[in-house]
Amino acid sequence: MAPPSRSARAAVLASSVQRSKPTPYPSKARSALIRRAIVVGLVIVALALVTISFRSPTAGALHDAQGVGSTVLRPFQIAATRIAQPFRDAYDYVDGLANARADLKRQKQIDRNLRERDIHIAAQAALLPSVLKLLHFVRGRSFPNDFRAVSTSVTSPPGGPFAHTLAIDAGSSDGVRLDSPVVSGEGLVGIVSNVFPHTAKVTLLTDPDSFASARDIDTQVRGMVHTGPGGTLILDQVSKQFRVKDGDKLVTAGTHNARYPDLYPYGIPIGTVTSVSATDTATFLQVQVQPFANLGSLESVAVLVPKKPRR
Amino acid sequence: MTLGDGVKAAALLFVAAVAQVSIFSQVHVFGAVPDVLLVSLVAVSLLRGSVAGAVGGFFAGLIVDTASLGTLGLTSLVLTLAGYWIGRYGETTGRDRAHAPFLSVAVVTVLYQLGLLVVHFVLGESAPAGAVVRSLVPAIVLNLILTAPIYALVRRLLRPVDRDELTTEVQLLG
Repeated sequence: MAPPSRSARAAVLASSVQRSKPTPYPSKARSALIRRAIVVGLVIVALALVTISFRSPTAGALHDAQGVGSTVLRPFQIAATRIAQPFRDAYDYVDGLANARADLKRQKQIDRNLRERDIHIAAQAALLPSVLKLLHFVRGRSFPNDFRAVSTSVTSPPGGPFAHTLAIDAGSSDGVRLDSPVVSGEGLVGIVSNVFPHTAKVTLLTDPDSFASARDIDTQVRGMVHTGPGGTLILDQVSKQFRVKDGDKLVTAGTHNARYPDLYPYGIPIGTVTSVSATDTATFLQVQVQPFANLGSLESVAVLVPKKPRR
Repeated sequence: MTLGDGVKAAALLFVAAVAQVSIFSQVHVFGAVPDVLLVSLVAVSLLRGSVAGAVGGFFAGLIVDTASLGTLGLTSLVLTLAGYWIGRYGETTGRDRAHAPFLSVAVVTVLYQLGLLVVHFVLGESAPAGAVVRSLVPAIVLNLILTAPIYALVRRLLRPVDRDELTTEVQLLG
């Protein structure tokens, strides 16, 4: 027989006790509600901004507001770039010293190639007038005669794998127009895809939506330069019957039909052919291109604005 | 969060956003870019909670989108969620843990990149999944290198608040 004290304890433990509901802290419950309301509100506003910005990227009140915002931010960006400039120069100096010998060797090789090519081009140029007459070639705008260059600095370079655009420190007030070609000292960079009063957005050649009609200056083969699989630049639409080889230089092909003027004038350097391959099943050659312009670290560019407005 | 703290946090995130867009976006290491803004946001969120994180992320993203002339709201959306989530972690599990900033930065770097990938994909823009995945490890390493100095700086600017001031979902007993 169990002692009485133990049975009383057991009886208490065995009985079902109705637990009282936890009393919420009013202030904490309210703060949690406010917190969630704030984040949901911000997400909704962000989604609304994305929707409006995506639907009308080049016009509208939001576009104007973004233009004003970018103008306000411009001095801060320029200041930040200037602060970083000494560090960048120091890095470039050290990097330059480290690579000087290899660069010298490469430059000597390039000089030899250029001398050979000069003779080849001069010989071809002598034949050009008669060939043009023969072909009744419709001449498009030529570079640089029909364009003026608006030189400007890059305020926001492309960063990360998503960015194929950059922001420049010149806009419609400087004469920059939509679809103006953009070049660096090395070659083609891209095209102006959005214009604000004092800034503009440049879509790079590496953007999946960028296409440039190109010509191989060594073999005169034409094709279309755009981003291929894996994000590399390729020269597309070149039939397998044509010959393209490693090291060939590509320039913009310019307008071939006056009814459909090309956005890029003839002769802007694009890049070098780095590999050529062909498969039995593919219709075209697979040509990989290395752009001349170092699109990842541009500091200044020039926008080519047509002297005469487009028809 | 006091008004002074708010001003300090806003100034810090503004400077971080401008520096990110103008300077750090040019630094490419093995395909990755160090993200000063994300690390600063993590530090602010851990020290000042989810609301500060969400609001800070929203406005910092807006600055990035405005300065880089990108699609407005896109970076804001991802940074708002990142700031909120890290803030909640700081308010609950991660409080007073020495490894919290490093763990947060590592996790949020992955989530931020994947979040951007999803948003870009949904919008039909360039969404190079292969490049993003390849750059994840270098991005985590770069951001972890930045974490210690930036967290120390933010901690000096925004002194940690008392436990009781933080909002909690978990009610402490006893």
